[in-house]
Amino acid sequence: MEIFSALSFVFATPSLIGAILLAAVVGMIVGATPGLTAAAAIAMLLPITYYMDPLFALAFLYVIGKSGRYGGSIAAILFNTPGTAASAATQLDGYPLARQGKAGKAMKTATISSVIGDFMGDIMLIVGVGAIAALALKLGPPETFAIYFAAFVVIGSVIGKSIVKGLVSALFGVLIATVGLDPISGEERFTFGTFDLTNGIGLVPLMIGIFVLGEVFDQLEKRQQKVESLETSEHDDDHDGLTWKEYKPCLPHAVRGGFIGAAIGILPGLGSAIAAFVSYGEGKRRATNPEQWGKGALEGIAAPESANNAVSGPSMAPLLTLGIPGSTIGAILLGVFLIHGIQVGPTLFITSKELIYQLFACGLLGIFAYGIIGYFGASHVAKLILRIPSNVLYPMIFLTSFIAAYSARGSMFDVLVMVCAGVVGWLMRKYDFNTAAFVISFVLAKGAEESFRQALLVSDSGILVFFERPIALAFLLLGVGAILFRVHSMRRERKRELAGGLEDA
Amino acid sequence: MKRRSFIAAVSAAVSLFMVAGSAAQAADYPRRPINIVVPYKAGGGTDAYARALAAAAQGTIDVPLVVVNKPGSGGLNGAQSALGARPDGYTIMLTSGGSFLLSTLTRKTRIDALESFDYVAQVGRLKTSMIVPANSPYKSVHDVIDAAKEKPGSLRWAHSGRGGFHYVAGLGFLKANGIEAQDVPFKGGGPARAAIMGEQTDYGFIGIQQIKGFEAQLRGLGVNADKRDEIVDSVPSFKELDIPFANVSSPVLVLAPKGTPEKVMAYLEASLKEIAAKPEFSELLKKRGTAPVYLAGSDAKSAIAQMKSDVLPLIDGLKK
Repeated sequence: MEIFSALSFVFATPSLIGAILLAAVVGMIVGATPGLTAAAAIAMLLPITYYMDPLFALAFLYVIGKSGRYGGSIAAILFNTPGTAASAATQLDGYPLARQGKAGKAMKTATISSVIGDFMGDIMLIVGVGAIAALALKLGPPETFAIYFAAFVVIGSVIGKSIVKGLVSALFGVLIATVGLDPISGEERFTFGTFDLTNGIGLVPLMIGIFVLGEVFDQLEKRQQKVESLETSEHDDDHDGLTWKEYKPCLPHAVRGGFIGAAIGILPGLGSAIAAFVSYGEGKRRATNPEQWGKGALEGIAAPESANNAVSGPSMAPLLTLGIPGSTIGAILLGVFLIHGIQVGPTLFITSKELIYQLFACGLLGIFAYGIIGYFGASHVAKLILRIPSNVLYPMIFLTSFIAAYSARGSMFDVLVMVCAGVVGWLMRKYDFNTAAFVISFVLAKGAEESFRQALLVSDSGILVFFERPIALAFLLLGVGAILFRVHSMRRERKRELAGGLEDA
Repeated sequence: MKRRSFIAAVSAAVSLFMVAGSAAQAADYPRRPINIVVPYKAGGGTDAYARALAAAAQGTIDVPLVVVNKPGSGGLNGAQSALGARPDGYTIMLTSGGSFLLSTLTRKTRIDALESFDYVAQVGRLKTSMIVPANSPYKSVHDVIDAAKEKPGSLRWAHSGRGGFHYVAGLGFLKANGIEAQDVPFKGGGPARAAIMGEQTDYGFIGIQQIKGFEAQLRGLGVNADKRDEIVDSVPSFKELDIPFANVSSPVLVLAPKGTPEKVMAYLEASLKEIAAKPEFSELLKKRGTAPVYLAGSDAKSAIAQMKSDVLPLIDGLKK
């Protein structure tokens, strides 16, 4: 097995281990800081990694992604604001637990569950990715388009609270993505005769604008509203310690969450937040104590935390084997691969197999790094974040985002793009549009258009090519199924709301 | 208290920024990393030259060379971005000269291959070839021609983007043999190769060096040249097979945006000459199936001017 030689390579490289530990800490802090997501941190750190060895750069960012997904739980539990969208489900039980003075228990449960889920996801990735890659080589433009389609439909309609606003956000992303040169014929589109626009809108400045600047503007507006937070330092060990007896009932939820997260992760575009909510819902349905869920059940933390981290590994599969990023973090990692001259796609496992398994080994190590640091240090991290006043934190983030946007390509136009995207991101947040759906569909649209038009060129039977090829058809049906499922569950939710069941409020 | 710490943080950040800025202005070239724009995806032949150049530059150029892939539109996308950069020597372009020239001739663009850039040097040469999946029913170029004659327009062929030299060579091959087939453009040689390997198309026109490392998945039927390739010498040339073709190949060029200072140009040209002669440069290229071919900037430019007058009659018929 390649993974063992890769593991021994990683253990024999102390500087790499240092990078992983640093990434684990950075990810945790970033994830735990309300308003800073792992995706935003990675986007800002991206220019630095240009000068690093590819394995270092990838491992560093990959582990930040993992650790950040976990770190979000700290903010969810302590501040009742999810540090990342992925921890929104954790908040449901985490905050009530913190109010009962059990924040330490809750954070430890989150740590252990995240490690279990993450580990399960990575093992499934390592075992299965070779087979997926071999299969991916047989996928042509029609199949690729069908997978893009499934990804599109799902992100647009599942993440948001409102289908319409989700779809509008996604369509807006598609529209912005078409600016630039036509992928097949090379004609200029929507450039309005502007030279800078012929290159299209850059992903990095767009993301920094939407996720970082937009969030800063949003926080600026909310300055008057105080974030509810709890002092944890006064609690005695009795409340903060976690016994095996307490964790034992959580274990099945963590394992189930691991499977749910891994399954959702492998489908591009679904992402951690959905995995967490599905796992929470499924856990609650099967729980022996469903009446306690939402009021402070440790199981209610184990289920979503395990699932949102289990997404991390398998979501690399479509990225590595097809070059289709399954998440915003995946989209940025795609850029790292390209910058270092590694072509992501079916041939990756022929050309750079060693590097990939070394990256996986770094991921495994990263899980244990954040697990151990988190188990013993989460409450310290939380205190640290509480201590930085927001009038220092946000100006710093604000400045850094300008530097990051400029340094990616050394272009002032990118800075302009970032500022515009920042305003757009703020407005989208203000009016409940879906920024994640916007950015992901921006990323997916280019590949989707290219593969769609290639598929039509390859086809002897026009548009029917998508129905003649079984894998393409399966993914198209999956996409349609996801829409129907979402519409169905939305209806159910609305009915329940009408019946007056607003118990989580 | 809070306000004071805020001001302190902001002023610290601002002063750091200003120090960095003034240092960059005062310093001699090169003081910070040089971006090499490659207007194709990573993994292709042109990209291989840029990667090898960046690796072999150590010891000759003191700052890192950073390869930035800007694929799309037959190389014009990256060219436009390089042209938009300041002509200060910190953004240069490494491109496939033949594809670049052809794109500027066949597309509506403001870029002129000879006028928009200053020529630093030529560092290599790329040849295209007809390649099929390893278990394709076509064992020879003649098999492909026969199949295309039997069912005109039914064959599909992959290439790395319309307007590139692979595309023009592929069209030239069809025209010279009086056959028809549908082209399917991909963004760069790497994705085109993946499509051929996955049997998405019947054949493809991609760089001969692309077979290297993929001998089990691909079969080369013919090299679009008079002679066989020096590195991948198992594939016969079209001339050897007596098959009419359009003799287009592509010098790998390093270009700088027009207006780059003389001193910088001289430094880059001298450095590239030194790097091209290094054994590790040829070693790195050999792994990817190519070899160094050095020409000074002025010679490289006159070669492109010559090619321009040669291909003008050919592409008039290909313009879409």
